[in-house]
Amino acid sequence: MVDFLNLVRNENMKMFRAPRLFVMLGIVIGLIFVVSIIWFSYDYGSLTSDMWEVTLVETSVLFWVVTIFAVIAASGTVAEEFSSGTIKLLLIRPWSRSKILMSKYIASLLFALFMTLVFLLAALLINWILFDLIGNAQSSAGSGFGSALVGGGEESDAALITRYYLLTFLNTVMTVTISFMLSTIFRSNVLAIAMALFIEIVLNNLLQLLQLFDKKWIDYLIFVHLNLTKYAGGNVSATDGMTLGFSLSVLAVYYVVFIALTWYIFNKRDVAS
Amino acid sequence: MQQSIVRMLDVTKRIGGRTLIDRLSLDVPNGEVFGFLGPNGAGKTTTIRMMVGLMSITSGDILIDGHSIAKDFEKAIRHVGAIVENPEMYKYLTGYENLIHFARMIPGITAHRVKEVVALVGLEARIHDKVKTYSLGMRQRLGVAQAILHKPKLLILDEPTNGLDPAGIRELRDYLRRLAKNEGVAVFVSSHLLSEMELMCDRVAIIQNGRLIDVRTVHQSKAAAEANAKILVEVDNRQGAAEVLAAMGQQTAEDADGYIVIHGDKERAAEINAALVNAGIKVYGIRAEVKSLEDQFLEMTGGERIG
Ligand SMILES: Nc1ncnc2c1ncn2[C@@H]1O[C@H](COP(=O)(O)OP(=O)(O)OP(=O)(O)O)[C@@H](O)[C@H]1O
Ligand SMILES: [Mg+2]
Repeated sequence: MVDFLNLVRNENMKMFRAPRLFVMLGIVIGLIFVVSIIWFSYDYGSLTSDMWEVTLVETSVLFWVVTIFAVIAASGTVAEEFSSGTIKLLLIRPWSRSKILMSKYIASLLFALFMTLVFLLAALLINWILFDLIGNAQSSAGSGFGSALVGGGEESDAALITRYYLLTFLNTVMTVTISFMLSTIFRSNVLAIAMALFIEIVLNNLLQLLQLFDKKWIDYLIFVHLNLTKYAGGNVSATDGMTLGFSLSVLAVYYVVFIALTWYIFNKRDVAS
Repeated sequence: MQQSIVRMLDVTKRIGGRTLIDRLSLDVPNGEVFGFLGPNGAGKTTTIRMMVGLMSITSGDILIDGHSIAKDFEKAIRHVGAIVENPEMYKYLTGYENLIHFARMIPGITAHRVKEVVALVGLEARIHDKVKTYSLGMRQRLGVAQAILHKPKLLILDEPTNGLDPAGIRELRDYLRRLAKNEGVAVFVSSHLLSEMELMCDRVAIIQNGRLIDVRTVHQSKAAAEANAKILVEVDNRQGAAEVLAAMGQQTAEDADGYIVIHGDKERAAEINAALVNAGIKVYGIRAEVKSLEDQFLEMTGGERIG
């Protein structure tokens, strides 16, 4: 077990590497900072917003940056080993290919989690300083301010944000898993990232239009379920009437298939490059 | 009985209808430096890829230390260190970080061992620099370092001298010989640098088009060496010289450049020279030549034609 953790440590060392990590952190924190400053300067004087509300809105419009960075890291972890040829040195150690791949997958999820937490904490901190310390907004985690935004009930803002982040993170896990699979299949960074983003941004939005058609099979497409934040306000979506349980079940089936395919291909493949 | 560290049993590799390796069978005993020789595209790298489990084996099997690389990978690979083709490392990490990375993958490699290996390959001065700043030869050394970190029983090196300077080649050669002799490590080394192989290996296998052509011992017996030695003589009067030599009971031939070719070694060359001079024939030049492994190799594979 300790030995296996060493594999994860290795993957972390490669994934959390400078200067890439600092560029990503800079962009995430910078974006939050800029949006908060702009919001604050419009709001200053009348101050109708508090830190929870701003954080929630920023998450809904900026979080795709975290997803993209998580996708870049996840697809790089397999594809880069192939493109640089280091895969040959990695696979000739006394570890099965399944375990090597597992260490990479775990590192990918850790990276996604890390970026998610950075986003959340940076947003809370920056908005607390701007709106509470400087602007004296007197926000309280129990104000229920953000609930109106997502159509929720009487939850506190802290509870709402927690729930929102859990759902968002699940979405990110799915996207990371898809790009991890694509980079294992194509062994190409660019292709995996491009396809994952295409699915995430284009298909995800376009195919939601499909729901306008009243066909049963549409409910089983993965794209309909990738955006789980529609359940932030409650277990039944206000927009389409689906339930969180149903969405999670559909995603779980896709997840198992993706993981099985990824591992099967990685184990089977001849390494000749 | 000496145990074989590598046993290849009718190893065949087919990709898309092409047979890259055709029923290759080889045995490498513990502690032997074994050369794997072949022209470009002969299948050396393909064979090595199968030996370390990077490629599947279409039929046949490879046993390393008695374990099948296909069925019992983790046990078989445990005592193998290898460089497959170019020594590609993580360029964005330092040489040291690269070594730590691979050291972590095998239990029992201490920081002290890592240091020792760095010293052994002579990289102390640059080990904390990023690998992207390394020259090809330095990368090659780092490649050797990662391969020997865990003191493998079998070292597999695919063209390891590629990119090394003469001093580096010599060091590597001496080091490999020492490893084999003192620590009983078997070294499986591929190359098309034939002169290299002669200096380094105990035995050499020659493959072409995926087939084993021959396995031979490098340090030939005296009789075999004599059979491959010849003397080239340049004279003013070939006719007269041939008569003198015939009188000595010596068979002669003539090559394309007009030299008289005689089978025999250095001693014989001196005798022939004396006889010719006594008979009043001018000898412009005389030299003894041993057919090198290289000549034999080229003869066998018909030059460096690919395919
Ligand atoms: N993945 C592959 N798919 C199909 N054919 C391949 C593949 N890899 C190698 N080959 C073919 O297999 C043959 C042997 O290649 P290999 O790389 O083993 O040669 P080699 O002996 O290492 O040559 P070199 O001295 O140039 O390194 C070549 O004809 C090559 O074209
Ligand atoms: Mg080769």
